[in-house]
Amino acid sequence: MPEAARSRRVPELAISSTSTLVTHTGSWKYMRPEYHDRVAPCNQGCPVGIDIEGYMALLREGRLTDAADLLLRENPMPATTGRVCHHPCESACNRRELDGAVAIHAVERMLGDFALERELAAPPVSPRGTAVAVVGSGPAGLACAYHLARLGHRVTVFEAAAEAGGMLRLGIPEYRLPRVVLDREINRIRAAGVTIHCGVRVGSEDLPWGTLLARFDATFLASGAHVSRPLGVAGETAIGVRAGLDFLKEVNRGGRPSIGDVVVTVGGGNTAIDCARTARRLGARSTILYRRTRAEMPAIAQEIDEAEREGVEFVFLAAPVGFTLDGDRLRAIECTRMQLGPPDESGRRRPVPTDERFTLPADTVLTAIGEAIDPDGLPLAGTGTAIPTDMWGQTARAGVFAGGDLAEQPRSVADALGAGKRAAIGIDRHLRERAGAPLEHREPDALRLGGRGNLSMTRWRDDDPVPRVAPLNEVVTYEDLNPAHFERANRHEDWSLPLEAAVGGFDEVNRGLDRPAGLAEARRCFNCGVCNECELCLIFCPDVAITRRNGHGFLIDLTYCKGCGVCVTECPRGAMLLTREGLS
Amino acid sequence: MSQLMIADQVPGDELMASGHLACPGCGAPMAMRMVLKALGPKTVVVMPACCWSIIAGPWPQSSLGVPLYHTAFETGAAVASGVKAALEMRGDRQTTVMVWAGDGGTFDIGLQALSGAAERNEDIIYCCYDNEAYMNTGIQRSSATPWGAWTTTTPAAHPESNAKKDILAILAAHRIPYAATASVAYPVDLLEKVRKAKAIRGTRFLHILSPCPPGWKYEDDATVELGRMAVQTRVFPLLEVEDGVTWRFTAEHAGDAVEPYLRRQGRFRHLTADQIEGVQASVDARWAALERRVANGT
Ligand SMILES: Cc1cc2nc3c(=O)[nH]c(=O)nc-3n(C[C@H](O)[C@H](O)[C@H](O)COP(=O)(O)OP(=O)(O)OC[C@H]3O[C@@H](n4cnc5c(N)ncnc54)[C@H](O)[C@@H]3O)c2cc1C
Ligand SMILES: Cc1ncc(C[n+]2csc(CCOP(=O)(O)OP(=O)(O)O)c2C)c(N)n1
Ligand code: SF4
Ligand code: SF4
Ligand code: SF4
Ligand code: SF4
Ligand SMILES: [Mg+2]
Repeated sequence: MPEAARSRRVPELAISSTSTLVTHTGSWKYMRPEYHDRVAPCNQGCPVGIDIEGYMALLREGRLTDAADLLLRENPMPATTGRVCHHPCESACNRRELDGAVAIHAVERMLGDFALERELAAPPVSPRGTAVAVVGSGPAGLACAYHLARLGHRVTVFEAAAEAGGMLRLGIPEYRLPRVVLDREINRIRAAGVTIHCGVRVGSEDLPWGTLLARFDATFLASGAHVSRPLGVAGETAIGVRAGLDFLKEVNRGGRPSIGDVVVTVGGGNTAIDCARTARRLGARSTILYRRTRAEMPAIAQEIDEAEREGVEFVFLAAPVGFTLDGDRLRAIECTRMQLGPPDESGRRRPVPTDERFTLPADTVLTAIGEAIDPDGLPLAGTGTAIPTDMWGQTARAGVFAGGDLAEQPRSVADALGAGKRAAIGIDRHLRERAGAPLEHREPDALRLGGRGNLSMTRWRDDDPVPRVAPLNEVVTYEDLNPAHFERANRHEDWSLPLEAAVGGFDEVNRGLDRPAGLAEARRCFNCGVCNECELCLIFCPDVAITRRNGHGFLIDLTYCKGCGVCVTECPRGAMLLTREGLS
Repeated sequence: MSQLMIADQVPGDELMASGHLACPGCGAPMAMRMVLKALGPKTVVVMPACCWSIIAGPWPQSSLGVPLYHTAFETGAAVASGVKAALEMRGDRQTTVMVWAGDGGTFDIGLQALSGAAERNEDIIYCCYDNEAYMNTGIQRSSATPWGAWTTTTPAAHPESNAKKDILAILAAHRIPYAATASVAYPVDLLEKVRKAKAIRGTRFLHILSPCPPGWKYEDDATVELGRMAVQTRVFPLLEVEDGVTWRFTAEHAGDAVEPYLRRQGRFRHLTADQIEGVQASVDARWAALERRVANGT
């Protein structure tokens, strides 16, 4: 205030000459609000390690290309996973608590199809001198090869089959994963700089292990599990009894084997469901025989529903004990009734046989009780049922990495893609160390979205295109959110082919969501833990202490903030924390 | 849209400054901030004694970016009538004259001035920010204090024994062009009502529930939450009344139980389960009456 004004007497009508900004009310506070981006539970739940929240936020802004780019950084095959993944991300989704999980798989699929339609791809990186071999072109091998190529390594994939794709091509039927989709996703992986040699079985005289290991700086083993487990029941070798995976491989190659009118499939996993649904499409009456109940079936629940809708019958709590043959022709399968006992090591109740017997007529029996790895076909000694690796995917043999169905991990496409990425990071790290140029120390836990999830390639490369505010690697629970700011909105359900058309051929059954519905579904996402600039904190602050920061995010003026915590409580998505003043 | 993206709905310009003297978490500055955002800079505020007289800052400071006239407790509406007349004498018909008063200054001591202005249909907006007691002088009960509440003049042994006065109905009975309730927890609803009021001539009345952490005895961060609960329990419905006859709800009211709302506030801690049931019954009865009013008019 100028000297003259200060010396003036208080006028009869007191008139203000300054604002309250001279009063620094920030000194009152003992709590301090802070912005922290945290981790959405879907991100932790995704075995691929995708920043789901991140692409949902970009889709909210209508930025499809940026969203697809973020997705393709972590997942080379979103149009595939969007169709066949069992989506554990959705089981983790916070929106379940309000009105149903976000249909993440459908949004991913919409975005994956968008990327194919627009032929989006990262520009190829010119390779450095290091050469890596990948054995097997299933999702694990393809993911490892893709990520390594994007990291600048020269990658060659060897595949025993005539075409690339692993179980995606050999096992999973066309009506769930059209081959044009698979082909185009594999082409994009090739375009990233990956060479794929098909028809080469590593370990045969084509290419002995010794030659391979000598020729490459590192090797990733991803040959999967293709040996069908036998039932262990007499008569199993009779004509008409067949490994389900074999049957699927034949049909998927275009074969149409004659299976008769009545087919019984033994098993409860995805292979069993695919066998039964494929048998329906070949015109047979199709029954699944499973020794536990529906609740224990390891197959994807949605697939079980689809099978039921298509008229597949289920006989639960039953196991095969023999076959009725007429000469060398199968007539029926002999079964024993089971009951559920105490839980076994998988946590599911163990089925125990009873004395009750019955037979089911069958022209063909398909066995689908699981697939094992082929330990003889590997350059590793003493492998049991699965290959152990360390947290970077490295086996007991230096420079040899493994992942996917071959390794100790859940058997799914997403887990295989995640394992391929983990090994790519492990191999990159290994080769950099060997070359004396290690990346600054990065612990695997710091590369995991939330600590339990899979590794993030973006974190490994440290080139996140999404601006982060004081990020914390902790997962946001529903209790951390303020649901008052979310309106109820029904989940968009996938559109399916009418029943007759579905069973009548091999056309894709589930058609997902079209783009407008997919974008609307993305707007259902809460964006857990990450500020999406809704401005509620700014609006509700009683002290006008919050302003927009240039570019991104917000500033809290601690000169005036009184530490009430209203902003933190009102943030819909847990992107703010209240800390004790002076202690953080 | 399944999320509130409030950034698109609230004007960015600020006419209220930081450094004001409200307690941490106070609802009163939230209310003022939103109202001024809707009214804009061509506004004169007339303010009888209340917490806001302090919040506005000691002389020579003011936390408002518009002229603010402090006046005696009982005179808000009368002074505003005079200010409006003076502006019109000078040919200014654009400037909005707004009274900003507490519940004590509105429901009790300022009521006759307000009734007089409403009867004359003075061209003013009268905002009552209601914290349900005389807070500035240390939490004495007013006729806006709800039944059962503790205040320093209604101690827990003898809590408030009268129902909250139905001020909206009183103002509606004056047949003024616009009267409404609003809440700091519903800023977009509040903004819309102020914009609507601004566009009308004559006496317009806004009753804004404004939770007060020290007076209601709750944690500072829960102001908006309590405001929301008051609406969703139908304790404080969001309404508007045109010309005293057309009654309308302006939000969904879920009809949540009142108990959690009461239990969040220390001022109701002494209430027994039976008493809470009584509160619920009276809220239900009042809601039923309101629904009839909304359905039939008047
Ligand atoms: C019928 C069926 C349906 C399924 N459905 C689903 C589903 O809906 N969702 C889901 O998440 N998961 C599903 N799964 C599981 C999923 O397919 C696997 O977990 C996944 O494919 C494993 O990937 P991978 O890369 O480890 O192995 P694979 O996909 O099995 O790929 C291994 C590849 O290595 C090749 N190979 C083997 N040995 C050699 C060698 N010596 N040299 C060169 N190449 C070799 C094989 O030919 C094969 O192409 C299904 C599996 C089956 C069998
Ligand atoms: C005639 C008169 N009586 C008493 C007072 C003391 N006084 C100043 S503010 C106030 C309480 C105001 O209560 P309310 O209108 O509800 O506003 P709040 O402080 O609760 O915001 C009182 C009693 C006064 N200023 N003038
Ligand atoms: S609401 Fe969105 S961010 Fe939150 S868990 Fe679900 S998909 Fe992830
Ligand atoms: S709402 Fe404002 S005053 Fe309260 S803690 Fe947040 S920034 Fe500080
Ligand atoms: S309230 Fe909105 S703008 Fe503020 S931190 Fe939370 S998400 Fe970001
Ligand atoms: S006493 Fe209540 S109304 Fe008054 S400034 Fe404090 S919190 Fe606000
Ligand atoms: Mg008051």
